[in-house]
Amino acid sequence: MRSLLNFLLRFKTLILFLVLETVALVMISSSHNYHQSVAFGAARTVSGFFARRLENSRSYLRLKQINQQLVTENLILRRQIEELRPIPRTDYTTVHDTVNGTSYSYLSATVINNSVNKQKNFITLDRGSNHGVATGMGVASAEGITGVVVGVSRNFSVAMSLLNTDFRLSARIASNDYFGSLAWDGKNFRYAQLSEIPHHVAVNQGDTIVSSGYSAIFPEGIVIGTLTGDMKKGGDFVTLKVQLSADFKKLTDVYIIGNLNRAERDTVEAEVIDE
Amino acid sequence: MNRLPYFLTSFVVLILLQLLIFNNIQLSGYVNPYIYVMFILILPLNIPSWFLLLLSFMTGFVVDLFSGTFGVHSFATVMAGFARPWILSLNVALEASDPGSSPSSYISGRRWFFIYAITVVLVHHLSLFYVEVFSFTGFFRTLLRVMFSTVVTTFFIFIFDLLRPRK
Repeated sequence: MRSLLNFLLRFKTLILFLVLETVALVMISSSHNYHQSVAFGAARTVSGFFARRLENSRSYLRLKQINQQLVTENLILRRQIEELRPIPRTDYTTVHDTVNGTSYSYLSATVINNSVNKQKNFITLDRGSNHGVATGMGVASAEGITGVVVGVSRNFSVAMSLLNTDFRLSARIASNDYFGSLAWDGKNFRYAQLSEIPHHVAVNQGDTIVSSGYSAIFPEGIVIGTLTGDMKKGGDFVTLKVQLSADFKKLTDVYIIGNLNRAERDTVEAEVIDE
Repeated sequence: MNRLPYFLTSFVVLILLQLLIFNNIQLSGYVNPYIYVMFILILPLNIPSWFLLLLSFMTGFVVDLFSGTFGVHSFATVMAGFARPWILSLNVALEASDPGSSPSSYISGRRWFFIYAITVVLVHHLSLFYVEVFSFTGFFRTLLRVMFSTVVTTFFIFIFDLLRPRK
């Protein structure tokens, strides 16, 4: 017993070192739960407070650019309205449509903290559960998809950025409807990789990549980026390089997209998969 | 001599600098300075090694808490805290100085402090960047990130050391 105590005392620094490093490794391996945890919720409230003040002063420098983006987006929306405007009819009937009604909700939010230089980047937004944000909602800017909400506190939420090596999204090539899995390799913040595309599919430089709508997070057809023409062959599939249309270094105003039918969809999918 | 307020202030100032300014420096993804390591560098020479380890862990934990990287910084700071006594013991110039003093270029010379700082920072950044990636794929890319960031971090720590109040 005495020799054991002596041993422990002699190597107390080494033992403490090993214990602390083990604790750190356990923390790292459980980090996927971290963004929902209470400890981070408290930290987020504090850091969100500072980040919002910083962002308030920074946003003035970008006002001109933001206006430009808004004008462009307005233009696109106006065109869509024109296309949707019905041809005047006299025999109006009321249709109680529960299937094709609104299935996605949109909420505007401001990015108050963001990074592009880490392997696992996250975006902090100034909307939280008070505004109806929940985990699993999509985040997109006017240019393209940017992330998915992974943690929510009362006034803030944290989204996993598309620039996160854990991020996966089902995406398709708009011109031929082949779909694959979009991920970021952690290297350049301007490019992501679209994998699992079969060999025989003909692709052209500049083809648009859009969300496939298979994931229930994003509606079908939201722009992600364009093909650069670079490809890497391996096995039965090719991996295509995608230039992201959203510039993550200038991210300011985004939309949080919620799927109103998601619970129903998840339930029916889970039922089938369980059997 | 009660130096608790001095180190407490250093801790708060360094963490705030890191979170509010240095976490926002994003040069090409290769340069990510983590200057808060300076807190581990400037703890007194005669601090017991177990206490140094605990303080290192706490420093990393606080940074983790606020940057959303759970455990990564804690791992790296404990590594740096563990390496510090060994790096100090390789040095001879220190023997003459007061054992309760804080390592600085003012006491031991700029050349010495530079070597001391860059070694501890290198240990910290090596463990930090490799644990963050959590694989050896892209080994040389990560190594480049470590090198560039180490140089920039050390540069800032060196400047802060010249600016800090001498006690």
